[in-house]
Amino acid sequence: MSPKQTNSRLEIVQGQIIKTIAVTFLVFGAITMIIPFLWSVITSLKSAENVFSHSAFWIQFPPDFSAYKQIWARIPLLTYAGNTLKVALLVTFGQLATSSLAGFAFARIKFPGRDKLFFFYIATMMVPGMVLLIPNFVVMKNLGAINTHWALILSAVGSAFGTFLMRQFFLSFPSELEDAAKLDGCNPFMFYWHILLPNSKPILTTLGLMAFQGIWNDFQWPLIVLNSASKRTLQLGLSYLMSEYYTDWTLLMAGAILTLLPIILLFFAVQKYFVQSFKFTGLKG
Amino acid sequence: MAIDSKSQISPSSNWSKKNKIKEALWGYFLISPNFLIILLFTIIPVFFSFYMSLTDWNILSAPSFIGLENYQNILKDALAKETFLNTFYFTVVSVPINVIFTLILAILLNQKIKGITFFRTAYYLPVISASVAVSLMFMWILANNGLLNQMLESIGIEPIRWLTNPKIALNSVIGVTVWKGLGLNMIIFLAALQDIPKELLEAAAIDGANRIQQFFKITIPLISPIIFFVTITGVIGSFQSFDLVYNMTKGGPGHATTVIGYYIWKQAFDYMHMGYGAALAYIVFIAILVLTIIQWVLRKRWVYSEE
Repeated sequence: MSPKQTNSRLEIVQGQIIKTIAVTFLVFGAITMIIPFLWSVITSLKSAENVFSHSAFWIQFPPDFSAYKQIWARIPLLTYAGNTLKVALLVTFGQLATSSLAGFAFARIKFPGRDKLFFFYIATMMVPGMVLLIPNFVVMKNLGAINTHWALILSAVGSAFGTFLMRQFFLSFPSELEDAAKLDGCNPFMFYWHILLPNSKPILTTLGLMAFQGIWNDFQWPLIVLNSASKRTLQLGLSYLMSEYYTDWTLLMAGAILTLLPIILLFFAVQKYFVQSFKFTGLKG
Repeated sequence: MAIDSKSQISPSSNWSKKNKIKEALWGYFLISPNFLIILLFTIIPVFFSFYMSLTDWNILSAPSFIGLENYQNILKDALAKETFLNTFYFTVVSVPINVIFTLILAILLNQKIKGITFFRTAYYLPVISASVAVSLMFMWILANNGLLNQMLESIGIEPIRWLTNPKIALNSVIGVTVWKGLGLNMIIFLAALQDIPKELLEAAAIDGANRIQQFFKITIPLISPIIFFVTITGVIGSFQSFDLVYNMTKGGPGHATTVIGYYIWKQAFDYMHMGYGAALAYIVFIAILVLTIIQWVLRKRWVYSEE
């Protein structure tokens, strides 16, 4: 056997070992990721009296769906879902509109001070959200928006990050397109509306998902600006459920699963765009 | 990152060359809705917040200007000190664990393995999940008679009071934070690893470098800007953590899990000490600003040194 062959065989064995270790590690990690969800589902399908009387590993069969029935009577889940959906959709479309318009202007229109203003825009992305909580509360109070959904919507319909993202995307269109549009008598808005937007669906979907998911999952800002029960979002409602029905685990787990479900379903429907949005999240700072 | 903030200046546009004013007006007009929001809810608040930090203000009455008194009080505030120490501990434990684990996961996922879609999906699930639901799930797992203690019991280990023992609670919150954040940095590292040209690694292999040498001499230096980026954003994120603490421990037991994000909320919105809260937030803001600037400066240097 020539030394060369031994070498390559050694490499194959080495590769196999590395792959086995990799798979073992990944499987172990994946189980750690999934078990909390699985355990929540299993708990939510137990009868309340069985939660503590049996071991954690025991699975009730047939499952008891009563927690999923009771929860509607304990908190107005449908109202919370409606509130959340309303705010999330308004913010998503508002943010897409203002960001794509501003991104378009930064990318394709010349005006004095444009590049300085854009640099300034980028700089505002560095401001951490925590610093804005207190002053924005005061701003919202002066606008009379405290304890209304406007407090959640207004501050989120504009986005420096969204503008940045749209600008980068619009820069990639060839300038010939613009010339052709101009010959056809388009004004800048018509060019944006008829040519750029229809060709920007992937980036709009990604940005829209980020906005939607951000609002759906947001907790701290709604906690600060909303106080009446009827205005609550899903996350506030769930947090309230926890403080009211502490240790009623079947109910709490059913609540957690129900509020997670829409986003998880959305995730499976458009996973590609979600992954794209993760890559941008770091940039958002 | 795929996007370079200093990318090319846009191609010279040619809307109405004769009428530059008209074009400029279009520009300002199209930017204005977005700009107004940024102005009102980011730019003005940054300055206004600093003014607030110089006042005594309970929101109900008018603010009274007290100069630097809030900042002086922070220096004397024993709880603020404890809070900063907790935050420091939270950061130096959670960030390195997160970075090391996500890098390992990304490297493993970068091998040609079957079922990669399943693995990725599993690691993404916690990232898209809302923090309130995650808090609930883990309060039940970490409860005295929860899943984790029952698992420990089955192998003969005494139950641990994960969320009610002051020496352990902060570590439990860190654990959940790491669990929730793994998928996010993993995808960022994975993208960076896939950007490494295959020829480089092949060339090194021909020169006799083994996998470990390839990893430390080629892979790590090439993704070092990303490692640094992920570390800084991780530190910034941990300075702001709030949701898990609020829902799982309310900062307790005692003040064991009171981190700065929670303490600021508590001062400003529970005690209505708006000025004091603003001063605390401004200190964190300056710290984050310094980190961000360091990140930008060093990143630029790294990018140049690659060429």
